[in-house]
Amino acid sequence: MSDNIIQVNGLKKHYNGGEIRALDGVEIGIKRGEVVVIVGPSGSGKSTLLRSLNLLETPTEGAIIFDGVDINDKKVNINLHRQRMGMVFQHFNLFPHKTILQNMTLAPLKLKKMPKAEAEAKALELLKRVGLEDRANAYPSQLSGGQKQRVAIVRALCMDPDVMLFDEPTSALDPEMVGEVLDVMKDLARGGMTMVVVTHEMGFAREVGSRVVFMDEGRILEEGSPDEVFGNPKCDRLKEFLAKVL
Amino acid sequence: MQEFFATLWRDFHTAFIEDNRWKYIVEGIQNTLILTFFALVLGVVLGVIIAAVRSTYDQQYERMTGPAKPFLAVGNWICKVYLTVIRGTPSMVQILIIFFIIMASSNNKMLCGIIAFGINSAAYVAEIIRGGIMSVDPGQNEAGRSLGLGYVQTMWFIVIPQAFKSILPALANEFIVLLKETAIAGYVGVTDLTRGANIIRGVTYQSFWPLLAVAGVYLIMVMFFSWLVGILERRLKKSER
Ligand SMILES: Nc1ncnc2c1ncn2[C@@H]1O[C@H](COP(=O)(O)OP(=O)(O)O)[C@@H](O)[C@H]1O
Ligand SMILES: [Mg+2]
Repeated sequence: MSDNIIQVNGLKKHYNGGEIRALDGVEIGIKRGEVVVIVGPSGSGKSTLLRSLNLLETPTEGAIIFDGVDINDKKVNINLHRQRMGMVFQHFNLFPHKTILQNMTLAPLKLKKMPKAEAEAKALELLKRVGLEDRANAYPSQLSGGQKQRVAIVRALCMDPDVMLFDEPTSALDPEMVGEVLDVMKDLARGGMTMVVVTHEMGFAREVGSRVVFMDEGRILEEGSPDEVFGNPKCDRLKEFLAKVL
Repeated sequence: MQEFFATLWRDFHTAFIEDNRWKYIVEGIQNTLILTFFALVLGVVLGVIIAAVRSTYDQQYERMTGPAKPFLAVGNWICKVYLTVIRGTPSMVQILIIFFIIMASSNNKMLCGIIAFGINSAAYVAEIIRGGIMSVDPGQNEAGRSLGLGYVQTMWFIVIPQAFKSILPALANEFIVLLKETAIAGYVGVTDLTRGANIIRGVTYQSFWPLLAVAGVYLIMVMFFSWLVGILERRLKKSER
């Protein structure tokens, strides 16, 4: 357990005084270098779990131990821990009033006090890796969806995070752009990044997932290697779910 | 017919040219613009503070710890009371209270006017700013926070620059509303544009020209500033990327 970079214990998130149980006692450990893919029907709590990991949602109950520190403790400076957890959103959330380069260098400049030249060199290097170095001075609205999401990924990478969280990163994309984003994520996974990915892309889960986690009604019902979960599902809800998506 | 025009001209002469009475109108325009401008400046300063307290309370209070928490709660409560009172009473009554109760000892009528209209305007400006901040996609805030930026940094570098686009035209409109509202300042002795017309009426015993002229001047000013707001709005749209 101690080699887990993230350890979630008894995590609950309730809305309306317990009427809605978005998370109802989640336990999960994530090791360094692991790619954990979370699947499950809509409304099962996948986003809530992911957003709780960097405290965009405040849990009702439970502990989130990140690198040995319970970040759900109110005394913890969450901003410092968030610097080490990159997040990629379904709708990209690039800053529309800033260029691609400014999007990427804002956090390193303000938080790491990195010299401007260094921050920009690093951003350009990352842009090159995703084939967008020529768009550095463009604004987000001038990019396609797939390009925006690639920028969102490298924007998070600019902070050198230990973990990357992805919430349905390809769900808002036109089908022909899904591949280019998944390719970047596969690259990242092969490079040893610890990743937690909520997605409906079962091909991605099979190819690079170290573990697949199935959620339903705020709980983890089943987990295992992609082969186990997809090839030999045990619980009925998972079988039902797979019948629909595969 | 000829006589009619002759009378009209004679009245015009009496109203504006005799004894240089047009100077009342020019001074009135000046004072109305000064009053409106500084009242809006004060309104923006107070409005930003109120909006900051209210937005911070809405978004941060639950997660807050430490000694600042009760102050924020009290501050938020004061702001709410302020907004309720200002928006729930006629501005004429508020101005009378400022002039005859709160600042009764002051002889500087213009200053009293600026404070009275500024306090009144702040309530509306605060809601304009809050509305502008709330119009920004919450995903922007989340993206900033997920990078590790603090609440204030995220507001300053990400949310407020985007909120500006909707805030700026609304503020310019508030200036136009205020320009017309200040017409009641004459009742407490500020020699604004409307008061200028009333002074001319008082000495010449005629209403036609002074009131018509004042209405015309207000209209021209409002049309001019609306035109400027239109340009501003188009500029902001263009810069939308
Ligand atoms: N702010 C909220 N208020 C009330 N209910 C919410 C809120 N956010 C999420 N929920 C509920 O929590 C449940 C889990 O949501 P979510 O984590 O978004 O599911 P998923 O990402 O798996 O589709 C859903 O039933 C959703 O309606
Ligand atoms: Mg979701």
